[in-house]
Formats: sequence, C-alpha cells, structure tokens
Amino acid sequence: MNYVLAGPSLLDKIAFVVLAGSVLGFALLTITRKGAVAALMALIGAFCAMAGLYATLSAHFLAVLQVLVYAGAIMVLFIFAVMILNRDEEHPIALRGLFVRAAGVLATGYLFYRLAWLVVRERRTDVFSTAITLPIPEYGNVASVGRLLFSDFLFPFEAISLLLLVAVVAGVLLARPPRPARSSQSTDGGGAT
Amino acid sequence: MPGHLYILVSLALFFIGTTGVLLRRNALFVLMSVELQLGAGSLALLTFARGLGDQKGHVVAFFVMALAAAEAAVGLAIVVSVYRTRRQIDLDGINELRN
Repeated sequence: MNYVLAGPSLLDKIAFVVLAGSVLGFALLTITRKGAVAALMALIGAFCAMAGLYATLSAHFLAVLQVLVYAGAIMVLFIFAVMILNRDEEHPIALRGLFVRAAGVLATGYLFYRLAWLVVRERRTDVFSTAITLPIPEYGNVASVGRLLFSDFLFPFEAISLLLLVAVVAGVLLARPPRPARSSQSTDGGGAT
Repeated sequence: MPGHLYILVSLALFFIGTTGVLLRRNALFVLMSVELQLGAGSLALLTFARGLGDQKGHVVAFFVMALAAAEAAVGLAIVVSVYRTRRQIDLDGINELRN
C-alpha cells in the first residue's frame, strides 16, 4: 500500500476539505439551532455532504442510498413530526443539571481526544491506506454490493426487512390517536393526570 | 485522501452528536443528534472497508441505514404519542412512567 508515493491529487484534497468542512459545519448548526425546521435543513445538508464523502471513498451505492434514504425518507419523517409538534422552546440548552451534562460532554471530549490521538499516531498502518488503485474494479457499485448482500448476508437482509415491518407497525400503533372508549386498554392517554 | 482523516471527521461528528444528545432538551433534537451519531459510525465503517479492500463494511453500513430508518420511525412515533398526552416534549419534564 503506497499512498505516500501515489498521493491524492489537488482535486481530491479540495473535495475532501469542502465535504468534511460542510459535514462538520452543518452538524454543528444542527445541534445549535433553536428552530426545529432550521436544524432539520442543516441536518439534510450534513447528510448530503456525508454522501459526497462516501463517494470519495468509492462507496457509490451507499452514497446514493444516503441521499435517498437519509436525506430523503428519514428527513421527510422528521419534517412531518415537526409539523405535528412545532413549538419554539425558550431555553434550548438545559440549565437544570448543567453540571452533570457538562461533565458528560467533557468525558466525551476526552474520549474523542484519546481516540483521535490514537488514530493520528497509527496513521501509517495499512488499515488507513486508501490507495489510488481499487482492490477490484467494480468496488462499491450496486452490482458488487448487491451480490454480497444477497449471498453472504441474505439472512441479515431478511431479518432487517422484518425489523422494518415491525417498526412500521409500531409507529402506526404508537402515533395513532387514542381511542376514547376501550375499557380493557388503560394505556391509551385518555384522561389527563 | 489518507484514511485517518476520514476517521478523524467521523470522530468529530460522533462527538458533535453526543454533545447534542447530552445538552438538548427537546426530544426532536435528541433524535436528530442520534442520527448524526449513526452517520458517523457509517462513515468509519466505509473508511475501514476502503482501507481493507473489503465490501462487507458497505453491507453493514447499509444495515445501519435501515436500522436508522426503523429507529426514526419508532422514536418519532413515541415523541408524538408523548406530546399527545403530556403537551410537551421536554425531556426534563417527562420523568415518570405513570400516565
């Protein structure tokens, strides 16, 4: 693996810097916005930029799926939820229990620091070498990943389809308005406490 | 680009997502931050798949995507259901299981 000799071209560097910068910038916007719609739009931008990063890793199938599934379907779900419960909050950042939360963020930051330090120290290992030559010519396209999906991973694929079905049924059951008169079911939120 | 830069981006993205989960009070924003964390995991999977020259990481990232869809569906349904009974989705205000 000789990525030192065959280094990335200038266009690769520009694409990586732009895409990684927009991923992190949009992610920061997502968690700092007050309005839910603005945060959602930033999240869509982050996912589209992440699809670009996938494409630079020559994972073309996953890049297309990222745009279709994440930036498309899941975000539509979020937009519908925002439409139902659109309220502006006065204090987006919690003030109560701030000390505990700050401790949690500091602990996560320390974890990030140690992992990043480890990654930078071990950056010469073969795992991190994204060589210019691909392992196989059709690496990461639909046919190649799909063949793997339907041969080695057929059982997990069917299991995940069952999981999606269960999730759809659960979503319908949970979000349905509570029926007024069913004496056997007391879990429906009929009466206010 | 060398792969460790992708891993650094993935780590930073996971840190941002965790910060969002810890600091935000609105349940919608917490779910969005969880999506960011899942995306960071997928990015790391694809980077290592590229480094190892193995496509199994792509398949696992595909499963993560399907899992994120299921999680978003159930999570948002729970948030809508809680909002219907409580009139709030503030995670600090929802602290009892009793209806």
